[in-house]
Amino acid sequence: MGTVWGWVSDRWEVVVLAVLAVAPLVIPALGGALGGQVTTLFIYCILALGLNVMVGYTGLLHLGIAAFFGIGAYVLAILTVPTFPFQIGWLAAAAVSIAVTAGIGLALGAPTLRLRGDYLAIVTLGFGEVAKVTLRNLEQVTGGMKGLNPVPPPGAGVTVAGTDLGLAFAVDPRWFYYLTLASLAGVVWAMRRLENSRLGRAWVAVREDELAASAMGISATRVKLSAFAMSSAVAALAGCLYAASLSTTADPNAYDFNRSILVLCAVILGGLGSIPGTLLGVAILVGFDTVLAPWADSLIQQLNINPSGSSLLSFSGWRLAIFGIALVLVMRYRPEGLIPSRRLAAELHGDQR
Amino acid sequence: MPILEVNDLQAGYGPITALHGVSFDVEEGELVAIIGANGAGKTTLLMAISGIVPALSGAVLYRRRSITGLAAHVIMRQGIGHCPEGRRIFSRLTVQENLELGGFTQRDRWQLRRDIAEACELFPVLGTRMTQVAGTLSGGEQQMLAVARALVGRPKVLLLDEPSLGLAPLVVRQMFDVVGSLTARGITIVLVEQNARAALALAARAWVLEAGRVTLAGTGKELAADPRVRAAYLGE
Repeated sequence: MGTVWGWVSDRWEVVVLAVLAVAPLVIPALGGALGGQVTTLFIYCILALGLNVMVGYTGLLHLGIAAFFGIGAYVLAILTVPTFPFQIGWLAAAAVSIAVTAGIGLALGAPTLRLRGDYLAIVTLGFGEVAKVTLRNLEQVTGGMKGLNPVPPPGAGVTVAGTDLGLAFAVDPRWFYYLTLASLAGVVWAMRRLENSRLGRAWVAVREDELAASAMGISATRVKLSAFAMSSAVAALAGCLYAASLSTTADPNAYDFNRSILVLCAVILGGLGSIPGTLLGVAILVGFDTVLAPWADSLIQQLNINPSGSSLLSFSGWRLAIFGIALVLVMRYRPEGLIPSRRLAAELHGDQR
Repeated sequence: MPILEVNDLQAGYGPITALHGVSFDVEEGELVAIIGANGAGKTTLLMAISGIVPALSGAVLYRRRSITGLAAHVIMRQGIGHCPEGRRIFSRLTVQENLELGGFTQRDRWQLRRDIAEACELFPVLGTRMTQVAGTLSGGEQQMLAVARALVGRPKVLLLDEPSLGLAPLVVRQMFDVVGSLTARGITIVLVEQNARAALALAARAWVLEAGRVTLAGTGKELAADPRVRAAYLGE
């Protein structure tokens, strides 16, 4: 038993990936609304892994990740919707979007790198609000509150074996399920590689002690900028997938402060700097929000427990309260997160590895 | 020709000037000591040399070329290692990870492995603690790790800030033995110490720092025999 469990815990990514890859074949509901919800969950996992680069590895508090998520979605939309003359195809647009968003991350990072802790948090928070308001007010470009649509599905116009890929995406949500799952798997793989790379070590060194890191020949400025860029790029990828799966950017409020906080809470709840922790945190918080809460609401409706429609009796009405209580409990009893990175656990409990 | 030359260096923090024009020089392969009381500016001097604190005026020359005003990581990459005051080890990381970060600039993995093995030869206890989280080491072991980490970066000149601070007498001896042996490896040492007796015994030359100025200079022996030094720093 022990060895089986050891094998599984060493390769948890492979096991989870295999289960998720087979799931749509055995659970027909994943071909319907549930598939869309799980797709959204995967997208948030990607977003959270991006945020984790800054908050977890590099120790920079970022309160505006949703802005980069949104910028990624809007740049993709501008390059693909019929109202603009570009329409360069999803893949190329996603690549441009990721590069542009990473550049915007650098542009925000460069002047603010001297700031630490709370001050950086305030700047990123402010940037998040500015970005949202700009998206709303720049109507000629962003469509204002209507957002930009229709964002064509990936592969629109590309025909494989007589079927238009775009059409396949539009008809069957399982295409998006697999696209986002594959993207998530790619991001997890890349993060694993990064953790053990020179850059990953430099992120951690700067988080732990900037002065000592510079005495090791590490340029704190460059290291922090790279974390900004990497975070923004991954958030942009999530944004591209999001806009494509909804076939619209949705309105700018989809990328507001609440979204940033939700993702930040997921990372903290799961375990700062921990890949499995981040994924679990998202699965719990966002899964609760996008899968469990709507399901519980519809159940309450079906059972006719709440005929007056009072929010006190609806599950969604209690959503934020439950979030809050859950976070307080986790921080009280397990401050390093549900699946902590080894380092944080060591510090908070003084264990040896 | 001195490998490191400090000319009339002034440095400080914000409105406070901690160094009021300090000059000294080190020959290649030499061990020199800077001694002085708390707050004399010893730590500031090392930090100004390694670029952590910006110099207000004056110059630092390394192999006759000015390194004044360069960023800390650039100065380190030129060959000036700094083992900062208070150890500053990465306490949440393992001993192994600390040493690997010490060799961050070494891109050849095999060379890095050799450098780490070599540093562990100097402090054998570290070799037995590689997977331990550094914050759980004893104070002496943490100091050894700090010095070993600086050595993995293969410095030509090593700035050592109070390597004996807070250590048990037996460990202090061991530490000074290692520091004294480093010059045989071709490493030039600038040793900052409050333990003046031990530092002067090792140092070819030494400078006494008081309130940000050099007040005395000479060979280690001369200073150890100087009545002013004996009264103020050797407790006699």
